[in-house]
Amino acid sequence: MIRRIKSCLIIEFVSKTTNNNVNSLVAAQANNQTAGTPSEPRVNASLLHDHSRQSRLLQPLQTIQPLQQDASPQSARQSTTHSRLEQGEGAPIGELTQDWREFSEPVPEPTPAGAKLFSSQVLIDGMHCSACALNVERAVRAVPGVRSAQVNAASHRAQVIWDAELADPAQWFLAIKLAGYRASPAVDWREERGRKKEGRLALWRLLVAGFCMMQVMMYTYPAYIAKEGEISADMTLLLRWASWVLTLPVMVFSCTPFWKNAWRDIKRSQISMDLPVALGLLITFAVSTASTFDDQGIFGNLVYFDSLTMFVFFLLASRWLEVKMRNQTAGSLEKLTRRLPVSVERLSESGEFTRVGLKDLKPGDIVRTHAAEAFPCDGEILEGEAWVEEALMTGESKPIQKTVGQPVLAGSHNLSQSVLVRVKALGKETRFAEIVKLMEQASLNKPNIVLLADRVATPFLWVVLALATLSTLFWWLWGSDPSKALMIGVSVLIVTCPCALSLAAPAAMLAATGNLARHAVYIRDLNSIEKMALVDHTVFDKTGTLTRDSQRLLKIYTPQGMLDLEQDIGARSSTKHLPFTYEQLKTFQWARAIAAQSWHPLSRALSASLNPFITPGQAETDLSASLVTELAGQGLELRGKLPVQDNLFSKELPLAEDQNNTPADLRLGSSRFCNSWFANTVIPPQASSCQVHLVDRAGWRASFLLSEDIRIDALISVQELRNMGLGVELLSGDQEAPVQWVAKQLQLGEECSRAKCTPSDKLARVSELQKSGKTVATIGDGFNDMPALAKSDVSFAFGQAVPFAQAKADVVVLSNQLWAVPQTILLAQKTMRIVKYNFIWAGLYNFICIPLAVMGWLPPWASGIGMALSSTLVVLNSLQLARSSVLKSRPS
Amino acid sequence: MEILYLLVPLSVVLVLIILAGLWWAIERGQFEDLEGEAERILKDD
Repeated sequence: MIRRIKSCLIIEFVSKTTNNNVNSLVAAQANNQTAGTPSEPRVNASLLHDHSRQSRLLQPLQTIQPLQQDASPQSARQSTTHSRLEQGEGAPIGELTQDWREFSEPVPEPTPAGAKLFSSQVLIDGMHCSACALNVERAVRAVPGVRSAQVNAASHRAQVIWDAELADPAQWFLAIKLAGYRASPAVDWREERGRKKEGRLALWRLLVAGFCMMQVMMYTYPAYIAKEGEISADMTLLLRWASWVLTLPVMVFSCTPFWKNAWRDIKRSQISMDLPVALGLLITFAVSTASTFDDQGIFGNLVYFDSLTMFVFFLLASRWLEVKMRNQTAGSLEKLTRRLPVSVERLSESGEFTRVGLKDLKPGDIVRTHAAEAFPCDGEILEGEAWVEEALMTGESKPIQKTVGQPVLAGSHNLSQSVLVRVKALGKETRFAEIVKLMEQASLNKPNIVLLADRVATPFLWVVLALATLSTLFWWLWGSDPSKALMIGVSVLIVTCPCALSLAAPAAMLAATGNLARHAVYIRDLNSIEKMALVDHTVFDKTGTLTRDSQRLLKIYTPQGMLDLEQDIGARSSTKHLPFTYEQLKTFQWARAIAAQSWHPLSRALSASLNPFITPGQAETDLSASLVTELAGQGLELRGKLPVQDNLFSKELPLAEDQNNTPADLRLGSSRFCNSWFANTVIPPQASSCQVHLVDRAGWRASFLLSEDIRIDALISVQELRNMGLGVELLSGDQEAPVQWVAKQLQLGEECSRAKCTPSDKLARVSELQKSGKTVATIGDGFNDMPALAKSDVSFAFGQAVPFAQAKADVVVLSNQLWAVPQTILLAQKTMRIVKYNFIWAGLYNFICIPLAVMGWLPPWASGIGMALSSTLVVLNSLQLARSSVLKSRPS
Repeated sequence: MEILYLLVPLSVVLVLIILAGLWWAIERGQFEDLEGEAERILKDD
């Protein structure tokens, strides 16, 4: 029991002035250590020694810990596990003090004497809705010594203010964990503070513009409805002055981004959208100010404060929306890159754990990763076992249990308890880095369609500037008063909207990419979205794509009868209730024991499929490999007695029989191999279709029918593709029979499947299809279909066996779900449709509005609304691609 | 209508006061988590 608790290693920061709360929660192992000054929380990684002293808070922890057997067969290995995992718990981990200071700062609040408050920033993982935020808050607040906790459901960040005398971060980290969420230090909180400040400033600018706009509109309204002479000149002047006063903050404060960008453009002698905007704003303000203070002057007596403020407000609002959307899309990328811990605990030569920075790690090092931490490297578990979440790497949302010897991926989360990991790959060599790089590439590389829009936008802006100047001159020289001529020029400047044009494609494509990334589908090149939308034929590989890599046991024939696992398991929902006899069970045991000695795929599949028949209480039949010989292409042979242990079968069954029934020799393999022991054929005709048979010297024991394990979503995915009007074809290098069988299961006609294809056959077939005018998508494992994948218009790499960087596919599907294929194609089609609409809209808008403005039929306020609306519409239109509801969830 | 000479400047001042109030609200982070606050009233803590 103690060991179980020990295994939950949580670094405890134990205040020297421990009060009873702390005492009850953690028993400081090494209170005699004297690091830190008395008033500061001293850092100490401690173990929970005394079970009886645990507080109520810790109780649920035991139930979530996987049960560890104290006296397990591998106890030798286990005991070293514990000793090494625990080692160093008592040892001081020096820089840890500094560690929590990385995400905390003292609160300079006037507090009662002695109270030392700290404010810490943490990121919370696992929150799904805003109600979750409240759960976390409540959990943290319940910890004694925590003064306040604020969780932001939108940014997944929490600020905790705690009293260093009464609490420590480990306590409320634990509390968050017990509430079912994960907390990690927000080491980037300083940058985040900068971002937050920016965000607040932007909102403040928008609101200033908004409120001033409303009020200016109010002052202008009388001028619109009053008839000539109804308002006295004094009153008009008063209203204009008031408008001017309220336009001032808009010009000076709200417009700062435009001034800055325009100034930058001028300095670098380039042009962007902000230059015409700033120009238009300046001219409008100058004209209006001039006519406010000197209505007899050259600029006449018209003011445009209402148009001005409204334009600024709309423009700021549309940019605000754009930024929000970009954050939403970039969020998945940013969340990804933030995953790795900053520092890790490394096992030093002296056998102690010391905290070192991630960059100081070297392959071969041994690091300890605690619960709720992310693994810093690709590596292999050396000691301990843990539940690991790898959703971003594999698309598998359920935690996976990893034990000694199994690989872990950098960036995946350790959910349950501390493990020791040997570092295999770091930094750029990790799969994590590959994913990040892929995402960055995808977001940086500009698809052709975007490049085109960008190329058009710059000359377009020059044309606009020229048009504005020309139309002003034209109207000025042809008799209009200068004020009106200038305002026509302003209208032209403002109404043009190349932003809508240049936003049209990237906004939609990025939204779609972000959406797919959330489903563990990664797009390497945004150009492929364009091509994918045109796909009308799909070519599938069989093994590893439509089927799993392994095979599945379908039927077992024994002298006692036949078991149809497909039907019987379906009807009974578990192997436990299958109607097999004691004889059969024994046979399965033998077959499994022998099959486990071979690496042949069929043997692997057989021993894995027979696993469920061995209930956990039964000890394993332990065979040493030397007893079994493998005859290539034929089967396995066991010489001598199968060492059957006493407790092999459950106690209700007669044990005495065992001794006699234990076979001397066994053969597991092909029918010819098995029959060759006997003068005549012993395998009954009904079992002749099976691939694997088991015989002993007395005769036939069992036959196993295995089949390819078609992915559960293969059929519905193929049907979905056909419903979308796409051709589906199966090209496999496998033999005729299994390919036909898979094709039949997927309801594909004879003409849609080809067996015994070499890679060059596949390549030829793809070219043939392309010649006949089809746009082909190839779905393979990204490895042995390389030529075909490269040749086809769009390629999907499938499955996790692929080294990520080597998969030369346009789309990498990590979720292991075939359903992702039709969904990705569907989303691509939708994306291109939206891109098309965006372009049509942006083009039409500019095409119609510019002539209107040049003609002087478009007042400045209308141009302002038009421009803001056109880019907002594009953004909103694209945003719908980011919603997960665009993708159909898989029918179960 | 002479009262307008008082009311119009007053309205300008009022807008400035409102803007100051908004600044106060923004600085206190009141617009940062709109959903969480909406949920909060439904929960009895």
